[in-house]
Amino acid sequence: MDITTLKVREMRSLLDEKKISAKELAEGFVSNIKAKDDTYKCYITTTEELALEQAEKAQKIIDSGNATALTGIPMAIKDNVCTEGILTTCASKMLENFIPPYNATIMEKLNAENFVMLGKASLDEFAMGSSTQSSVFAKTKNPYNIEKVPGGSSGGSAAALAAGFCAAAIGSDTGGSIRQPAAFCGVTGMKPTYGRVSRYGVVAFASSFDQVGALALDSHDCGIILNKLSGYDLHDGTSSKNPVPNFTDKIGKDIKGMKIAMPKEFYDDGVSKEIKASVLQAAELYKSMGAELVECSIPSVKYVIQAYYLIACAEASSNLSRFDGIRYGHRSTLGETYEEIIKHSRSEGFGDEVKRRILLGNYALSSGYYDAYYGKAMGLRQLIKQEYNNIFETCDVILTPTTETTAYNCDAKAVTDPVHMYQGDMCTVPVNVAGLPAISTPCGYDSTGLPIGMSVVGKPFDEQTIIQVADVFEKSFTRIAPKLI
Amino acid sequence: MDHEMIKYLAELSKLYFTDEELDDNAIQMTNIVNLMDSIKEIDIEYNPLADNHNVYLPDLREDQNFPSLETSRVLQNGMNSNNCFVVPKVVE
Repeated sequence: MDITTLKVREMRSLLDEKKISAKELAEGFVSNIKAKDDTYKCYITTTEELALEQAEKAQKIIDSGNATALTGIPMAIKDNVCTEGILTTCASKMLENFIPPYNATIMEKLNAENFVMLGKASLDEFAMGSSTQSSVFAKTKNPYNIEKVPGGSSGGSAAALAAGFCAAAIGSDTGGSIRQPAAFCGVTGMKPTYGRVSRYGVVAFASSFDQVGALALDSHDCGIILNKLSGYDLHDGTSSKNPVPNFTDKIGKDIKGMKIAMPKEFYDDGVSKEIKASVLQAAELYKSMGAELVECSIPSVKYVIQAYYLIACAEASSNLSRFDGIRYGHRSTLGETYEEIIKHSRSEGFGDEVKRRILLGNYALSSGYYDAYYGKAMGLRQLIKQEYNNIFETCDVILTPTTETTAYNCDAKAVTDPVHMYQGDMCTVPVNVAGLPAISTPCGYDSTGLPIGMSVVGKPFDEQTIIQVADVFEKSFTRIAPKLI
Repeated sequence: MDHEMIKYLAELSKLYFTDEELDDNAIQMTNIVNLMDSIKEIDIEYNPLADNHNVYLPDLREDQNFPSLETSRVLQNGMNSNNCFVVPKVVE
């Protein structure tokens, strides 16, 4: 049995029917990781021993007939999620030896499901990047082509899933960090509405954008996982008290009469021809199923990169001020005074991109610049939200490409030049600025065989509909798994 | 963006830069700020009290007391001694 092609719900059936054991599943993925992860570098830390212990415990629960959706399912966890007693590095020298004394709320929820943790997946340092090449410990490679990036920042999670090193993965999405790597690695990634999932225990980058989500082989599986992660948490004041429906309930329902918005700004010359053609082909499929395609515009997305980076970096400069080398994190041996130790510790602990974003954030917030940058960015944020709301007054979902290009080379300008890097996020950051739910799922392959992703964006707290719309496309699309070397 | 501005921001950010790093950052931050500057084209006002719809104040909970983490666990990731974090002498 090839476990790497099994969906989470298929594993559930096989486990419950005793056609496979939790231990066999865990051992299968551990074996794949041991054989190939030296090449792909998806994981920063692997937890083989723990995985086998958890699988044994899960099997007892399965045998007792008390299994729930994720019992015994082997998953990867992004390494910015605090895991009690297990190294949590954020791919940074700053947290090289950090062992959290508590679990993130989502870890408590996954543990309550008796899932199986295979390890901590790599990311861009502090989730600040789109390539996973700023990870200090594991510069992940794309399973479809080892010369290419897996995307980021949840590149380790996406690549591990694509390579068959886990059944599903947890990521976080601040400006596209689940959806963009999902697109580059040919898997499905879902960012729920801001506030749907608790951020407690997830190392903060930009608190008003950060959102935890899931990566899986299809949108149905993403819904199954997010059913278990969502809901109000008293530890996170921004988590929503909105009721959590079953996200998979609309799967299989007819999309006839549904209105699918296609904002022209996402289909301009910046998007590669092959990507545009693939997404438009998907749109035509929806049309053939009875959906109506609606041309529209979100004029203010012209400024969305600026608004996003100014706000995100402002929040990052504040969030990362906690890393002083005193209470936890890298402590420099240089410096005589309290102030000097903090400065040396931060200078040695943070990488170049993290430092740049702290500088930009402090610039945007500093006296004399605040109104011109941060104030304008916050004003734009409200405007962009309003423009999305206007579309949702008449349309059910929005369809866009997830990225402007397919995965690029590990030494491309989008990796080495920050301006190129930021501009590459054009298709994903608007969703974070507006706080909306979105799912990226594969919709084609370019001429070199690299995956293409499309995004379905929904109304706030309407995750059910985006899963329904993505699922109906996935049923007609054949995913091509990567050929590992 | 010149060296003086980078030094000022470095001070705010509690970071040290070598001269070479100052050169690199001056170039890169200039490029980044040039990209950000297009936001100045748009005529928009923002009032944090009236326009911020990101936080729903009625949803905030009442303060509640919960047990803290044990001191030993709080200290486990820092340089510590006698149940305290170790820092250089601050007061002469």
